Amino acid sequence: MTTDNYILFTVAGTSYALPSQDVAHVEMVDQVTRVPNAPAFVDGVVFSRGQVVPAINMRARFGFERAALDVSSRLLVVQSKGRSVGLLVDSCREFMNVPQSSIHPPGEALSGLSAQYVDGMASVGNRLIVVLSLERLLGSTEHAVATRPREQASGEGHGYTETRN
Amino acid sequence: MTDFLDNFLDDYFAEAEEHLAVIRRALLTLEHSVGQRRIDGGVLEELFRSFHSLKGIAGMVDHRETEALAHELESYLRALREGDVILTTGGMDLLIKGAGALEASIAARRAKGPARDTGVVVEEIQSLITRDGTSQPAAKPESRGRGNWLCTFTPSPALIARGVNVDVVRSRLREIGEIITAAPMVNAQGSVAFQFEVSAAVSDELIERWQPDGLHFTPIAPGGAPGARAGADDRSGSILSSGHYVRVDLARLDELMRMIGNLVILRSRLTDTLARSERHMPPGQYREVQDDAEAIERELRELREGVMRIRLVPVGEIFRRMPFVVRDLARDSGRSVNVVLSGQDTKIDKFLVERMMDPVLHLVRNAVSHGIETPVERGAAGKPPAATIRLSASASGETVVIEIADDGRGIDVDKVTARAKQAGLPVPSGTIDAVALLELISAPGFSTRDASDRVSGRGFGMNVVRETLQELGGTMQVETHPGEGTRFIIELPLTLAIAAAMLARVGDQIFAVPQAAVREVAEFEAASIRAMQGAEVVEFRGAPLPVVRLSTALNVAPSDATRFHAFIIGSGAAAVGLLVDRIVGHREIVVRTTADPLIRVEGVSGATDLGDGRAVLILDAGAIARQARDRHGRRGLTVVRGIA
Repeated sequence: MTTDNYILFTVAGTSYALPSQDVAHVEMVDQVTRVPNAPAFVDGVVFSRGQVVPAINMRARFGFERAALDVSSRLLVVQSKGRSVGLLVDSCREFMNVPQSSIHPPGEALSGLSAQYVDGMASVGNRLIVVLSLERLLGSTEHAVATRPREQASGEGHGYTETRN
Repeated sequence: MTDFLDNFLDDYFAEAEEHLAVIRRALLTLEHSVGQRRIDGGVLEELFRSFHSLKGIAGMVDHRETEALAHELESYLRALREGDVILTTGGMDLLIKGAGALEASIAARRAKGPARDTGVVVEEIQSLITRDGTSQPAAKPESRGRGNWLCTFTPSPALIARGVNVDVVRSRLREIGEIITAAPMVNAQGSVAFQFEVSAAVSDELIERWQPDGLHFTPIAPGGAPGARAGADDRSGSILSSGHYVRVDLARLDELMRMIGNLVILRSRLTDTLARSERHMPPGQYREVQDDAEAIERELRELREGVMRIRLVPVGEIFRRMPFVVRDLARDSGRSVNVVLSGQDTKIDKFLVERMMDPVLHLVRNAVSHGIETPVERGAAGKPPAATIRLSASASGETVVIEIADDGRGIDVDKVTARAKQAGLPVPSGTIDAVALLELISAPGFSTRDASDRVSGRGFGMNVVRETLQELGGTMQVETHPGEGTRFIIELPLTLAIAAAMLARVGDQIFAVPQAAVREVAEFEAASIRAMQGAEVVEFRGAPLPVVRLSTALNVAPSDATRFHAFIIGSGAAAVGLLVDRIVGHREIVVRTTADPLIRVEGVSGATDLGDGRAVLILDAGAIARQARDRHGRRGLTVVRGIA
């Protein structure tokens, strides 16, 4: 039986998992520098280990309201195809070994924005965990950039609670 | 008087640093002469002159506690040189302690902190001289009789208008005594001053009377080496104002880089113009001009590299400090450690040397307090009782490799994992390889010792080491073998993508604007901004200047400022003013590109860290100005058509 190591995090009350080999590191985050005219789900940039990485707000990405950063907020720095991207999540506390056999294809029941990034659902003990596909998660952001209007209307405010789409 | 001191302070610190470097190196050599009657005269002379020079320059900037201590150290060395005393272990320790106190005292002054009391060390040295020998302590610098004085004259237009010039000063000095040496010097602000060493009777009254004439006196102890003059020491090997070396202010190199930056911009403008003129020119002629343009580009690149190379200094500046740190730490922790240095002449950017001092210091301290066993433990493991820490540097291509290796017990992986779990850090399952190990020990909040430990007490952990490295574009690896030792391998770029930048506040955000793009800086009243042909303009030097509010261009909440600072980008008809709330600073920044497609937006060229770990965006002022010009240009055209 093959077992993979996953890193678990939560966004808006749901538990998600990414293969731990895709996650370079997890760090606390207290401030994100806003980048003008970046896609709406990008909060800005942070310095992580001397590298400038974009911070994707996963709440915004999945269509939830933004929440203010707090002590449990974490930045997952993930690596895919030579890119380093930060994912802002509500919390990230554990590693878990998940047997391949306990990951099932996502059912019809799963809906919402996050559905298109899901690899499968894992039930471990009495918990239900959504296993994400990093490639699709980041791949779709490239698409988002390509279709982003060149200039946004000026005078627009900024903040975590605002939805810009 | 205060202005005079301010002018000199930067020079003082730079020069003091050089003397301290010489002192550190000489003390290492001198240590081998403990207990011997005949001591290498060259080393003593070198130390003596360095203390003497330090005393002189400390006096010049009125840094009394440093002056007094350097004076006392000089007296002890004189006694050694005259053979009045023998160098004892206690004497050696006191010399090292004294050098450390000098350094701390100068550092405190530099940081504008409270003055360090050097009185205790001064007294210790005094009692050592009387105990170990018979020589008379040298006269106090306060004595104002006939003696040697360092006299500095800083000319100014006002003084020259009053007829006080260097010739007048020279003849005045001749009247009161004898001029031993005279030398011009250039201070950090680029103004010229003259330094005389005179043997004369200088009274307090005279000092006061001549002070308004730009003359400043500092006593040199009688018997001081004739000709030993502050600032002249061609044996330290660092960049000095004599022999084959010149000392260059970093700010002047930055100025050169800025000019080169301007040339680069001009050249690219030339290329643009050329491309547009191609069809109007005979092909042969066009090719010739094109070739010349390319040659200029090549030369420019070499010029830029040449200037970058001037900034390279030997890595030895970092290394030489380490034997002292190890010495103190080893003694305090009952360990015996030899430090072996190699590749000290490897050169690296000055900025990198400054930033690497603390990380290397930390790794060396770590090696002593975590890596190296007690002599008893080492004996039991069949190792020589004295451990070895090797610091080496080598250059390979565009990178410099620095290694810090010890032959201690190695890193205990199980202990690290346990500690990490205890600290609540995520620990990957399975075997921990070197990469994962480094990851764990570099995690914020990880420390395998108590807070009382000298190392962790500094608040500079492995995570800061790694962050500093990454900020500098470097990398770190670790190799560790149980019972055999640990080696940290650091790779750094030879030079950095460093740019001089202005920092400006727009709304609640700070942005950096590379200076090379800015032609001029101006300030405007908000009320003076007028709407004209659909754009905003201000009057600048008698002509309308289109302006762009960065708050608008960057979607930042605008402030209600009544005055704006402006970066003037481009010249003539192409000039555009970028309005910011305030220019808040000016500094060198390390440029990091924002490569990811998610954050590649027009007008932002990268990000930098100003030292607090937060990202500050670097603006592409040229691109923002260009966009504005295009918009303005289009509107202008519409108006012209309307008139036609």
